[in-house]
Amino acid sequence: MSVRFMRGFAAAVVGTLLVGGSAHAQTLTVYWNAGHAYDAYAKVIEQFEADNPGWTVQWERFQWPDMRTKLVADFAVGNTPDLVAEPGGWVQEFAQQGLLEPLDAYIEADGAEMGYPDDWQDFSVSRNMVDDAYYGVQIHLTCATLVYNTDLLAEAGFDAPPTTWEEFREVAIATSTNGRFGFAPNPVTSYYWPWLFQNGVEYYDPETNTVGFDSPEAAEALQFVSDLIHDDKAAPLPVAGADYEGPQKLFTAGRAAMIITGPWDVAPIQTGNPNLNWAIAPSLTNKTQATQAGGVSLMIPAAAEHKDMAWELLKRFVSLETELEASLANGMTMPRKSWAEHPDVQANEILGNFGQCLAYARDITAELRLTGKSARVEELLKTAVDEIIYNDRPAQEILSQYAAEANRVLAE
Amino acid sequence: MAYALLLPGIAYFTVYFFYPIAVEFWASLFRGQPLIGHAQFAGLANYVVALTDATVRHSFLITLVYAVGTTVFTLLIGLGLAAILAGPVRANALIRAIIFFPYIISFVIVALMWKSLLDPYTGILNSVLITLGLPTQNWLSTPSSALPTMIAVSVWKDVGYAMLIYIAAIQGIPEQLYEAASIDGAKPRQIFTRITVPLLMPTTLFLAVVSMISNLQDMSAPFLLTNGGPANATRLFSLHVYETAFVQLEIGYASALSFLMFLIILLITFIQFKLLGREVAY
Repeated sequence: MSVRFMRGFAAAVVGTLLVGGSAHAQTLTVYWNAGHAYDAYAKVIEQFEADNPGWTVQWERFQWPDMRTKLVADFAVGNTPDLVAEPGGWVQEFAQQGLLEPLDAYIEADGAEMGYPDDWQDFSVSRNMVDDAYYGVQIHLTCATLVYNTDLLAEAGFDAPPTTWEEFREVAIATSTNGRFGFAPNPVTSYYWPWLFQNGVEYYDPETNTVGFDSPEAAEALQFVSDLIHDDKAAPLPVAGADYEGPQKLFTAGRAAMIITGPWDVAPIQTGNPNLNWAIAPSLTNKTQATQAGGVSLMIPAAAEHKDMAWELLKRFVSLETELEASLANGMTMPRKSWAEHPDVQANEILGNFGQCLAYARDITAELRLTGKSARVEELLKTAVDEIIYNDRPAQEILSQYAAEANRVLAE
Repeated sequence: MAYALLLPGIAYFTVYFFYPIAVEFWASLFRGQPLIGHAQFAGLANYVVALTDATVRHSFLITLVYAVGTTVFTLLIGLGLAAILAGPVRANALIRAIIFFPYIISFVIVALMWKSLLDPYTGILNSVLITLGLPTQNWLSTPSSALPTMIAVSVWKDVGYAMLIYIAAIQGIPEQLYEAASIDGAKPRQIFTRITVPLLMPTTLFLAVVSMISNLQDMSAPFLLTNGGPANATRLFSLHVYETAFVQLEIGYASALSFLMFLIILLITFIQFKLLGREVAY
């Protein structure tokens, strides 16, 4: 090996180190839901990288269950992403384990300028707090309501969507013909909450530390759905699985007249069947008009390497300008009060219809999540719902059995 | 020198096998979230709870049904196909390749394909039933049919591998044994049951052990096809452990369940060796 070669090699190594050192190339890792990778957010990332030379955003997209698996593994080895989107519930769950960064100092510094928390719907703030500290910022605020095929209802003689359970049953039966179903229920348990709420069910009582899903009202609600499937033959058995898109696919194909869904299904319906005539109706009323609130929040893990930069990016994701762009293009509803009041939002029929449900939507799992046993209780409720829906077991008997087990778990 | 040569292997197994097993056992002695969050030492309490937990018992029983069902049908059908295709069949290389193909594709693809075929409302299988004037089926959405359907999908995927191994083993049996049996007047069925099957016992043992271990640990099928539903009808043990650890965040308890499964697999493998591990000489 010649001396000239050795000198050249040494110069190349030193040069590389110098160039690399001066650029300070840094990567900000962001975990995101694959279904929410909107162009508006891609633009935010592009602008963030342009404004911060040397920084690259690694935007990793997952389905929620896969993201959770990866995130828990990341926590175990202490190698976490810098910013994480979560589907509701994870903020409190992980904050209680000391795995998330409290955001109070950031909010104190930037809250007034970004409008947090005053410009956010109140419950979208409280659901991201633990022990009076902020651990997450809501980016999407959603609710599920009745979506119906206007042509199928008109064919069956209905000019308007149902408003009560009785009317809903009547329409579902009347529109179930020729291999079509009046209603397509979802296999995912959270889609049964609107029925429970509409019948006045209280999920959890923090004073007695007990669940309330064994009440006669809860049994009546789930029995109503089960009877639509097994007795009225107006609804199919949901296809088992973690996939919540089954009913949307039947609806998009014109094989279901009504489904319960939220803004996340707007784009698949519009792109899947542009000729479909459909509309969004207010949530049904039985004892009361109600539905479940949900949505996505952003959180920063305590072990994140670049917390300050993660906060900078978070602020851009939740700005009013980004909210408007993401929502108008994708039909997603947002948590800012100023977003709901914006003329463009109010002029948009889809956003306006979903947005009106936020007024009576409820997120009653927040208090249960503070017990740290929410996941186990929800698993028991899922099994109970499955027993009632798939095995056609009497709702009251099953709910009493599983609520007793849930209360035992809570008392441990 | 010998130990030096063994060192890389020992290091590999220590880092990737023995250390994780030790960590898992350590985590199983805690209640809560060892490894990521708050945990309290619980001794063997998690094991006591596991042995009396009705959900664990249910998961274990259906896992046993799934593993035994998949293994038995895979081996029987694989042996049958091998017996046919080991001989001079026209285009047998192509037929073998077609049957083997599902084995080399990812279960994600298999699950997507079968979910589409089995969809009760838009699937091709029910369309065929309708065409034949037969009632349609909720293959994966009825508790009584979900597990058998899942076994059928797993057998479809694995049978090509069993067939290929059996073909290789059949072709290794000396031709003279068959000639001698023929001269003695043995019929084809007798030759198959008295010569081929007994001489394939080491192959059967290998396939049975590998298939049982793989099926007892299987999470892909229930996770991708049914997510354990409907009504927990396909909630196999590995999926139960996964949900306990990653959804319910009961990491200590999930570690205990996982360690119990490790011991059970060791026991079942030992029993298989005792039952099928006969010496074969020819």
